[in-house]
Parts: sequence; structure tokens; C-alpha cells
Amino acid sequence: MVPVEYYLVLSAAVFSIGLYGLLTRENALFFLMSVELMLNAANINFIAFSAQWGNLTGQTFSLFVMALAAAEVAVGIGIILVLYRNFKDVDVTVPQEMRW
Amino acid sequence: MAGAFDYALAIAVLPFLSFCLAVGVALSGRDLLPKGGALPGIAATGGSLLLSAWVFLTVSGGETYNETFYTWAAGEAATGSLSEPLTLSFGMLLDPLSAMMLLIVSLVALLVHVFSLGYMNDEGETGLPRYYAGLGLFTASMLGFVLADNLLMAFMFFELVGLCSYLLIGFWFRREGPPSAAKKAFLVTRFGDYFFLIGVVAVFATFGTAKFAGEHSFPRIAEHALAGEATVNTFLGLEPAAWFTVIGLLVLGGVIGKSAQFPLHTWLPDAMEGPTPVSALIHAATMVAAGVYLVARMYGFYALSPTALAIIALVGAFTALFAASMGLVKDEIKQVLAYSTISQYGYIMLGLGAGGYVAGTFHLLTHAFFKALLFLGAGSVIIAMHHNEDMWEMGGLKERMPVTYYTFLAGSLALAGIVPFAGFWSKDEVLYEALVHGLGTTSGLGTALLVAYGMGLLAVLFTGFYTFRMVMLTFHGEPRSETAREAAEGGWNVKLPLIVLGILATTVGLVNMTPVADLTGMHDIELLNMWLSGAPESVSVEQYHHLLEEFGGIHAADVPSYLAGGLSLALALVGAGSAYVLYGGADPEPHTEKLGSLRGVLYNNYYQDEYQVWLAENVVLPLSKVADVFDQAVVDGVVNGVSSVSLFGGSRLKRVQDGLVTHYAAMLTLGLTVLLVGFAVYGGWF
Repeated sequence: MVPVEYYLVLSAAVFSIGLYGLLTRENALFFLMSVELMLNAANINFIAFSAQWGNLTGQTFSLFVMALAAAEVAVGIGIILVLYRNFKDVDVTVPQEMRW
Repeated sequence: MAGAFDYALAIAVLPFLSFCLAVGVALSGRDLLPKGGALPGIAATGGSLLLSAWVFLTVSGGETYNETFYTWAAGEAATGSLSEPLTLSFGMLLDPLSAMMLLIVSLVALLVHVFSLGYMNDEGETGLPRYYAGLGLFTASMLGFVLADNLLMAFMFFELVGLCSYLLIGFWFRREGPPSAAKKAFLVTRFGDYFFLIGVVAVFATFGTAKFAGEHSFPRIAEHALAGEATVNTFLGLEPAAWFTVIGLLVLGGVIGKSAQFPLHTWLPDAMEGPTPVSALIHAATMVAAGVYLVARMYGFYALSPTALAIIALVGAFTALFAASMGLVKDEIKQVLAYSTISQYGYIMLGLGAGGYVAGTFHLLTHAFFKALLFLGAGSVIIAMHHNEDMWEMGGLKERMPVTYYTFLAGSLALAGIVPFAGFWSKDEVLYEALVHGLGTTSGLGTALLVAYGMGLLAVLFTGFYTFRMVMLTFHGEPRSETAREAAEGGWNVKLPLIVLGILATTVGLVNMTPVADLTGMHDIELLNMWLSGAPESVSVEQYHHLLEEFGGIHAADVPSYLAGGLSLALALVGAGSAYVLYGGADPEPHTEKLGSLRGVLYNNYYQDEYQVWLAENVVLPLSKVADVFDQAVVDGVVNGVSSVSLFGGSRLKRVQDGLVTHYAAMLTLGLTVLLVGFAVYGGWF
């Protein structure tokens, strides 16, 4: 059996890639993908610990997270469409109206 | 079985209901009540009178009542060296003293309501519901004050009667004088009440209770503390005895304000701007009595402090003399009566300060009746004179208004202290107590009492003079104006109260004829003495005697009471006789003009108002300006400084929200990192 540390390192790597994408990209679609990566990193963690402790709660939760990710993508795509309609672009640095 | 005590609360509630009714009608703006609200008022005070009489009879059967019926705040832990936590409560104390006072207040209130029919309704005044609302609220608060079983409740009702006094003095608010007189009365009495309030707090802090009577009452605890059997909190590093004197003097501040004693007496003459029935009820018979009643109520506490007693006696005697001297030269009938009121309350204070609890209470009783009578008599004269109060415009009213004349004469004889009218017996007893205790007590208190006795005795002479100067100028001689020639007496509603009070003023003194009792040896005719002796132990006359002897060092010398009585009677007769000689002619001359500049000083009240205004303008005003600067600069400065820091910080910090979604993501990440590092450091991961 693969030790849990490997999964954790994998999960941390996937999470960091997602975070890096979130902080550096300007395209809203890349944003969405980065968020997906981070969610999946969390999922890997859930599964890993679930397997480690022989407890099914983690697996159940990962199912919830997937459903949540699907919903999130639906909303996110909607936002991106509206963004495009208003700014003719999907660059998140362009809209700056909602500020102090 | 339901007894009188179960209904005693209604004594104060009934007039309150009449107040609510009158206010409701006044607010509705329609003339719904016949007589403008007088009838509910009469019904309510009549009911109070009946209930008071029932309570009186029950108390005379030897029963008393001392219960708390509502606790509105209760502490959880005792403070300092006290054994029990504080509780703030309402309760009733019905003992001989309060039962007597209830009877006086409700009787005078009823008669004043009836008299108001003649003075206000028949004269076509407007705003009557407001007037009767004021009278109702006043009666309710005064009765509540009398019923109170603790100092805090007494204080609350004490303030309420002050409010009613303000409202009623300023009844004719469209004129110039009354509103300013009302404000003055309110402010001057409030000045005294400020000390009273501190005194109430001090009593709570010291004893943990403010109850007047019973084993767990503050006078009782004070007594035990002085005997070393109980512990109390004291402040300012004082011994219990000295600290008790301080508390007594603080409470005395309220007494001096309310009972118009020197130097806070200046509001009362101005209060005569109010309607005359109000003067009779509030500024002569009852509210002004609240102050001295309070001293009598907590007499067990004052009896412990010879210093406080000496101050009470000296203030009282000085006020008696001081006010009487000003009454000598006044031209307006109500002004003379106002100064005589101040002077007579001085006598009551003297009696209480001199250790004469019964004497002071007795004078309180008789004075309530004869002074209410005199004010109502003056009211009757004022109606006939079409609201002209100058005595030099009167004269010769004796034939035209016989009922008023004879009742007024009875009141005057009582005021001057001529045997056998009420004032003679009570004033005489006050002076007698001052004399025997002054002679019998060796300490400084004895000397103080003798000085006070001297001043009181001199005031008797003045009282006789100004009283009969007033009677002569008003009723005797030839009419000196057209209105006086055509004066006519009012209807039954004017005469009935006068007759009732006239009879009382003549006879009520007979309840405690100490000189007669001494002469004949029949001590069972001292009814008032026996009545007040029937109180529960903690508030009884015997207890007070015991306290006075043990803690005050007061002892009575052996002086025959008829000698002292004869002396003051002779002085009163000299005063009255000289007034008769000087002013008895058909067309009297203004003899006081001969006093020259002295008359000016007296007529201007020793320039008391001027010096108080000077104090206000040249001492208080600069001080308050300094306080204002402090308030604006320091207090407000700190507050504004704190808020401007937040404002400035906020205006800078809000720029973080720049609308760029990438920055938000970065900040989220940063926050998470900071949290993780924080947990790591404090959680000991490293």
C-alpha cells in the first residue's frame, strides 16, 4: 500500500499549482481551472485519509465536493459569459468598477 | 380579614386616578368634565380622607404596618462590612406619625379642592383640567411621601411634589411673574435636594438599608453601631458618630430647601405668584411640611447626633426670627403669610432640633390647619378685592365679609400664639422644649439651644405684631379703595372650608395642653404625646427620649411650663397689642416708613435675592464656564480624537478594496498563510 505521505505530497503539489494559476493568470477560464485543481487537491486529501483510517466519511465527502465543483463551474461559466458580454473580454483585470 | 391597611395604598392612588382623568380630559381638548375636573378631585380626596380616617382609627387601636410591597432592584452580594445586600423597594409605614400626617394632608387637600371651586371655577379661569390635574398629582405624591417606608421612596415622592409645586406656581404661565417664580422654586429646592440625594446614597452605602422603622432600619443600625454592637461602612476616614452627622446634614439640605429654611427660603415668597388655594395646600400646609416631616420621620437618626440637632435648632430659630422680621413690613397680604410660613417652619425645626419630637410634630399639626385657614381666608379676601393683594387698598372688610373675618381672626390668633388657640399650645411647647433642654444640657448643644430659644422668643413678639398688623389693615378701619367698599363674600364653597378650618384652628391645640397638664397634674390630657407614644418601639417617643439622653446628652431642666408659656404669651400680646394701637384707627398710617433705611433692608428681604443672584452670576457662572471649557476641550477632545483616528484609518484602509479580483485572491491567500503561520508558531509545530 502506498503510504499516505505520497498522496499528501501529490495533493500539496496540485493545490500549489492551482494557487499559482489563481494568482498569476488574467484569463477567467484559467481562474476556473485553477479553482478546480485546488478542489481536487482537497479531494485527494479526503481519499488519502479515508484510506489511511479505513473510514468512509472522507470518500462520501469527496463525492460532495465533486457535486459542489460541478455547481461552481455552472455559476462560474455564467459569470464568465456575463463578463464577456459586458467587456468583450474574459480578462479579470479589466472590470474594476466594484470598488470603494 | 381585609383591614384598613389593605386599602391604605388607595389613599395615594385615588388622587392619582383623578390626575389621570384630568390629564386625559385636558388632552382631549374638550370640556368633558363638569367643573373642569374639580368633582373627580373632590371625590378622590374625599375617599382618601375617609381611608386615612380608617387608618387613623386602626392605628389608634394599637396596630401598625411596616411592609415592603414591591422590590424593584435587589443586590446579590453585600458590600464592605455590611451583612446583607442592598435592595431598593417600595413599602408603606403606617404608624401614629404617618397616620396623623395622612389625615392632615387629605383633609387640607379636600378643603382646598372645594375652595378652588370658588377661587378658580367661579372666577371663570381657563385651563381648569390642568389645574386639577396638578392638584391631584400633588396630593397623590404628597400622600405617597407620607406613606413611604424608606428614604429612597421618600426621596422620589419628595421630587414629585417639587414638580407639582413647579407646575402649579406657573399655572398662569402667560403672565410674566409666575413662570419665573416657578423656575426659581424648582431650582432653589433642587439645590437642596441635591444634597439630599447624596445623603440617600450615603445612607445606602453606610447601612445597606434605608428603611425608617423596624429592627433592620438605618436609625436602629446607627444606634447599634454607636454602641459598638454593629458594623457599618464609613467614608472619608471618619468615625461612625462624625460620619452620621455628615449624613444627617446632607439629608438636612433637602429639608432646608423644601421647608424654606435659611438660606434656601427665598423661593417661598415668590411662590405666592401661584393661585391662592395652591399656596394654601402646597406652600403652607403640606409640601413645605414635607421637609420637617422627614426630620421627624428619621428622628431616631438625628437624635444620635448632637451636632446635627444643634444645627437644626439654630437654623430653625434663626429662620423663625429672620422671616418674622421681614414679615413686619410687607404690604401684600400673601407676602406676610409667606414669611409667617417660613417663620413657623423655623419653629418646627427648632422644636425638633431641641429634642422636642412631640412639640415639633404638634406645631406641624396645628400650623397645617391654621396656615391653610389663613391662606384660604386671604384667598377669600383676594376674590372680594378682585385680585388686588395690597393691604393698603383694603380696610373695613370686617362688616362686609363676616365669615372670612372671624375665621381669619381665629387663624391669626392661632398664628400669633394667643391662648387658647392652636398655635399657642404648640409654639409654646416648642419654646418650652428649647428652654428646658437648653438649661439642662451642659455641652455646647445646651448653649446653642439657649441661643435658639432667645431668637425664637423674640420672633414671638414679631409674629404677634405682623399678624395683627395684617388683620387690622385688612379688616378694620375704613375701606381705602372702591373695591374694598363694594367687597362681597363668596359662596358656600368659600365659606365651608374656612369654617371647618376655623374650628380646627381654634380647637386642635387642645390635644396637647402641656402647661394645663402640668398645673393640674392630669397628664392624660396630653393626647398627642400619648398618641405618638403608641408607635412601634423603633419610632416611639420613649425610644427618642432614650436616644437623646444617651447619645445627645440632652437632659431637661426643671422649669414650670406655665412660666415659659406665660412669658411667650405676654410677648405675643405685646406684639399684637402694639399692632392694634398703631394700626387700629379708622385710617392707619404706614408706621413702618419711620424705620427708614431699616425698612428698606427688611422690605427687600435683606437683599437675599440680590446676593444669591450675585453668587450665581459671579461665582457659579465663571465656574461653569471653566467647566464648559474643560468639557469642550478635554472630554470632547478625547472623544473626537478617538473617532477621528477611526475615520482616518478607515479612509485609508478602504482603498484595499480596489475592485481587482486578483488582488482579493492574493489577500485571501495571504490571510490563509498568516493564519497557518500563526497556528504553527502558537501551536508549537516548530
